[in-house]
Amino acid sequence: MARRPATRGRPVDLRALLDELPAGTTGDVRVVTSALTTIRFANGRIHQPHLERSTHVSVRVAEGKRLATATGSDASREGLSALSAAARSLARIAPTEKKFPGFAAPRGRGPGPLAFSRATAELSPEDATQIAVEILDTAAAQAPGARVAGAVTVGMDELRVGNSSGLDRSTKRSLAHASVLVQRPDRDPPVSGWSEGAHWDAARLGPAELGREAAERMARTTPAPVEPGAYPVVLRGPAVADLLRFLAHLGFAANGEVEGWSCLSRRRGKKVAPSTVSLSDDPRSRDTIPQAIDYEGTWTARTPLIDHGVAGPVVTDLLSAGRLGRKLTGHAQPPEAPWGDYGPLPSNLILEPGSASEAELVRDTRRGLLVTRFHYVRVVDPGRGVITGMTRDGTYVIENGEVVGPARNLRFTESVLTALGGVTLLGKERRAYSDGGGVVTTPSLATRSFRFTSATLF
Amino acid sequence: MEELIRTALEVADGPGIVHADVRVVAPERFVSLAVRNGAASALTDARTEALGVRVRTGRAWGFATTCDLRPGPVREVARLAVRLAEAAGRHAREPLRVTEDPAPRAGRYDTRLRRDPFAAPFDSLLTLLTSAEKALHVAREVRSGIATFQAWEENKWYGSSDGASFTSRIVHVGAGLTATAVRGSNVQRRSAPSSHGGDFSQAGLEFVEGLDLEARAPEIGREVVELLDAPVCPTGPTTLVLGSGQLALQVHESVGHAVELDRIFGSEAGFAGTSWVAPEKIGVLRYGSDAMNIVADATEPGGLGTFGWDDEGVPAQRTPIVHRGVLVGTLSSRESAAQLGLHHSGGTARASGGDRAPLVRMTNVNLEPGEFSLEELLEGVNEGVYLESNRSWSIDDRRLNFQFGTEFGRRIVRGELGELIRNPIYSGMTPTFWGSMDAVGNRSTRHLWGLPNCGKGQPIQGARVSHGAPVARFRNVAVRGG
Repeated sequence: MARRPATRGRPVDLRALLDELPAGTTGDVRVVTSALTTIRFANGRIHQPHLERSTHVSVRVAEGKRLATATGSDASREGLSALSAAARSLARIAPTEKKFPGFAAPRGRGPGPLAFSRATAELSPEDATQIAVEILDTAAAQAPGARVAGAVTVGMDELRVGNSSGLDRSTKRSLAHASVLVQRPDRDPPVSGWSEGAHWDAARLGPAELGREAAERMARTTPAPVEPGAYPVVLRGPAVADLLRFLAHLGFAANGEVEGWSCLSRRRGKKVAPSTVSLSDDPRSRDTIPQAIDYEGTWTARTPLIDHGVAGPVVTDLLSAGRLGRKLTGHAQPPEAPWGDYGPLPSNLILEPGSASEAELVRDTRRGLLVTRFHYVRVVDPGRGVITGMTRDGTYVIENGEVVGPARNLRFTESVLTALGGVTLLGKERRAYSDGGGVVTTPSLATRSFRFTSATLF
Repeated sequence: MEELIRTALEVADGPGIVHADVRVVAPERFVSLAVRNGAASALTDARTEALGVRVRTGRAWGFATTCDLRPGPVREVARLAVRLAEAAGRHAREPLRVTEDPAPRAGRYDTRLRRDPFAAPFDSLLTLLTSAEKALHVAREVRSGIATFQAWEENKWYGSSDGASFTSRIVHVGAGLTATAVRGSNVQRRSAPSSHGGDFSQAGLEFVEGLDLEARAPEIGREVVELLDAPVCPTGPTTLVLGSGQLALQVHESVGHAVELDRIFGSEAGFAGTSWVAPEKIGVLRYGSDAMNIVADATEPGGLGTFGWDDEGVPAQRTPIVHRGVLVGTLSSRESAAQLGLHHSGGTARASGGDRAPLVRMTNVNLEPGEFSLEELLEGVNEGVYLESNRSWSIDDRRLNFQFGTEFGRRIVRGELGELIRNPIYSGMTPTFWGSMDAVGNRSTRHLWGLPNCGKGQPIQGARVSHGAPVARFRNVAVRGG
């Protein structure tokens, strides 16, 4: 094979690539480098340790207003030139994007240093393994005889973006997230408990606490069947995070607004939730895994989405800002496929906390269900914001303001707007949850009515 | 590439290492052309390279990967894979066992195709997509039209410490149309030839041309507008006839994933979930009616799950999964097969690229055809619904309780397809549902559908799989309007 030039692995010369674009051609380039270790465990042992050193490059060019992208894994000068040629070749045959405003010149001041942990970025394979072992050992000690499974991911990634209008910016993230399932498959029906968390500093992940919490959330007695129907519910953080992710996709992604199928299209500027509900996207916050720029190099900033119950506008990238005639909010995703349906998305969601403990949320609910997390949530009807999914890993019956016992799992089919509109109380403790893409930082909450449409056997 | 593989295997040959294998996927190419509302949407040409080293000690695996294919970085990831396996092994109480399987020596597999999608410029394809997308906009209610084409080329080199080696070049292509019509909060979607990006095959451009997108587009546009005014699907238990495309997804979710042996043994418990199938029930479990016959066939021409050898070097196989309603087999890797006490792997350990470790994945998991034409299936229905083209899909973590919505439905009245219905949803429990299947369509109703987006594993891996499915009839199914 041909040897790569010695520049590979050194700082990438984006400026030279962009300067050599022919007249009439503009472009932007993204280079994402990452070093991540994932330690998966199941059945009480580490079964899939995975370490990845990767580089992802994406070159987007505009021949006039004809856009195309080429991506690859080679950030050398030679590799970038090849991608530029491939993108230009596709762009020449692309339909014209009439509303494309051009690549943005660098404007505004960036944030100061964001939260970053060098120690987390540099954790060794043995360190990552040790975090997994701590979770495993704690969970196993708390729940003897249970089967423990989960994963730990630690490491860092760096995004650098340059464009032909003179922009050249970068952002670096340290990240750590972990999840743990404690399960008794030998019970009939099987029971399980769950915990998870994410942080930019692995030292604050709290592996032992996660293991303990998952074990505590596993039912000690036999779950009872519950009739499907509408119930008040207390949703723990992982369940709320799922609802908010879908709200972001269905209510605040720009494509839904452009094409009219967003569930908030006709409700912007109107009250959609109680005044206690304030949701923002805040990529600079220490409460998320911070990043300074989006995938077009726009500085990130706090964007209110629901402000004291009132729905705000969608978030934008260059193309959607042009199409909608709105300001650029800095929410570009990578321009390459497959990012089809939704377009720019808020991916550092933060829900403001309230003041209730979990016990108070339960007490306030009187009669209903306590849900730890959801599974396999999918869109049923985007226009009304209806989604469906299963409860999983710790569902409990609440009667007279107390948890009285575990419930068998149920399927919900409900609008995210109904769930949010019915919020009665918000928890005071917040935690960050990562699904590998974005981060949601949220407390638990109680909501008035949540529709369950069928039940399963466990 | 052989030299790089040798380099990695030499470094991964330390004390305590009982096996190592190396895969290089270079180049892996992915081209996506999409036209959305007359504009180019994410036209992408991706060319990547990756090398993955997997090692096994007597007690644990280790896997490390790099996209930098120079000897230095390759040696480094080989060392890291060893360190990971050693670190994991220190906490393992039980030895790790795998099956012994025949290994290829210099094997070669190539996709058979007539027109290589990567050998010609994309001009004419983009013209076709532009024109087909435009033809979706038959009325102002059609607020979104999308026409897409995707093609993948995977060039793979595999070598292992036990002397196995093979190379392959696999090409997948596919295309599709989606129209979305909006009136207030009433949002309807219609796709062709199927949702989730269309239909996909291991083939060349001849497959895409055969989809005839331009001719189908106006009808899809008309149907999505008609759906806005259609009555909501009636509610209640009824007879359900499922179209082939929706049945393919039903097989995928309620059979394919449930019979992955790693799920059955709990390896995926912390993420994707487990299975309602208990290991001791394999061979005796009643999965469905006598009309239900399922095979996993990694040898079927045109399938996205068709290959020469899996990513552990095990030859492609055709494995019976359900025979006359009884579970008789599973999808397996060398580790999970050994766990069940089998002597050989089912050959379904697949990785989504050189940067991922192989997992138990579906290949082409097919519902075998029965003996009825569509007309004969409908004749047996006094009152019911016919549903096709998936719109939403969800199933619990043991693959029991499912709920599917489809884009399109028609009432069945006295054996005939009747009025259009919107927002249909059906739900059920896996064994009850398959137990209610009383008639399966014949070969004329069968199609091999390609699904390019099956997610599993951490870090996530997207697998391309296929499902052969005819139409089929199910009695007493819970159906409602969403």
